[in-house]
Amino acid sequence: MVVKSKLPTYNLYIGCSVPVNYPNYEAAMLKVAQAFDMELIYLEDVACCGSPNLRAFDYMGWMTVNARTLAIADKNGYDIVTPCNGCFASLKDVYHHLKHDDETRTKINKTLKKEGLEFKGTAKPRHFVEALYHDIGIDEIKKKITKPLDGVGIAIHYGCHLLRPADVTEFKPEYLQELVEATGASVVEYPLWKQCCGATVLPVDEDLAIRLARDKLKSMKEAGAVFATVVCPACGNQLDLQQLGLKESYGEIYNLPVLVYPQILGLALGMDDEEVGLGMNRVPANPILDHLSD
Amino acid sequence: MTETDETTGPPVTLIDAIDMSKLDPKFREKIKSMPNGEALAACFACSTCTAACPTANMWKFKPHQLIRMILLGMREEVLSSNEIWLCLTCYECQERCPQKVRVTDIFFDCKNLAAEEGNIPANVLALAKELLTKGQLYTVTADWEREDMGLEPEVPGLSVEAIKRILKDTRTKKLVGGEE
Repeated sequence: MVVKSKLPTYNLYIGCSVPVNYPNYEAAMLKVAQAFDMELIYLEDVACCGSPNLRAFDYMGWMTVNARTLAIADKNGYDIVTPCNGCFASLKDVYHHLKHDDETRTKINKTLKKEGLEFKGTAKPRHFVEALYHDIGIDEIKKKITKPLDGVGIAIHYGCHLLRPADVTEFKPEYLQELVEATGASVVEYPLWKQCCGATVLPVDEDLAIRLARDKLKSMKEAGAVFATVVCPACGNQLDLQQLGLKESYGEIYNLPVLVYPQILGLALGMDDEEVGLGMNRVPANPILDHLSD
Repeated sequence: MTETDETTGPPVTLIDAIDMSKLDPKFREKIKSMPNGEALAACFACSTCTAACPTANMWKFKPHQLIRMILLGMREEVLSSNEIWLCLTCYECQERCPQKVRVTDIFFDCKNLAAEEGNIPANVLALAKELLTKGQLYTVTADWEREDMGLEPEVPGLSVEAIKRILKDTRTKKLVGGEE
């Protein structure tokens, strides 16, 4: 029999958007991790992933920066978890590329050697919610729920870079769906569930980005969603913050609170609204408190 | 598909004549040699990628046309097109391609080639400059929010020097030039 002798331990890659724009996401994630005895160690001396933008204009620079982060995690060998789809995509894509391309790996490792580092590929990059799903598991999560939600309808926006390309991300929609359902909420299916939030195109065509966010919100609302959940700060900006913009540009009020998943789970685990930073959500998210049972 | 208010004209098909003298027969080989470009030539122009794209209805050149243009050697048109930069990178096209052409990844390759030639939208170039000079895309402006949540005021573990050091030897530096 295998005895679990120690806590599951991870390297935490926090990125730059979560800590800057979503300290509530960061804090809620840390508290949820603590509730399940997951030990998260902030990676030290790591660089910004550069986002898909860096990949677009400087592929080698993007590879090197992210290979460096992976190599730093290789030093202790613990898997990397991140709360951001953009960071996840960068790290996972580079990891995948380097695992399958010996020539590039040799080239990148030559550069990393100057920094005293080597990409070995032992520390796997993972999204925080995927680690929750696989390493903690739905049953264990359910056991700790003390304030289940009352079946209220939540629409999930997964975010493109969490799901696709599937052969690289290895993330299945069911994971997040089951995680949401574990809190007692129901998952609202809506036609545009796969569609992009528009974040990537913001620097090139803001109007288009706004329109994409609008499409998503409309689709969610029409399907009867009372709340929405995201697991990425860029998607959060587009769906939560952008609702303020839509009020100005289209005169439309959606009033759809958007919570990051660890906020929802945290509340169901019995944390209070301040612990999960509910007050920082742009569209007031306090109505979710009415859906928690005592 | 996201709806536009204005209906800009056709062409659903490429109706302009192709100037053969401008074609670059090596272009397809170049793309095939780039990351995830291998399957490029497997495209049989079924246009599933275009059907999957949430924004192609606003594009002059649709995804399947861009792939076809690469195969034909229309290097100049592809690399100077806005479309490659308007790609959401949502991977809906790539996921559905029956021929396993990595369409989104190929558009990333195109953007890299376009950037190499100096074709890069101003706001994207601004991000390049931000990364090279500041070492991050977002900077903490409201540290009280972090402190309210019981977090340390600065971003934990972030090295701004590492990325600046790396990008100074890569294309980013060339793009930003001496203005840093």
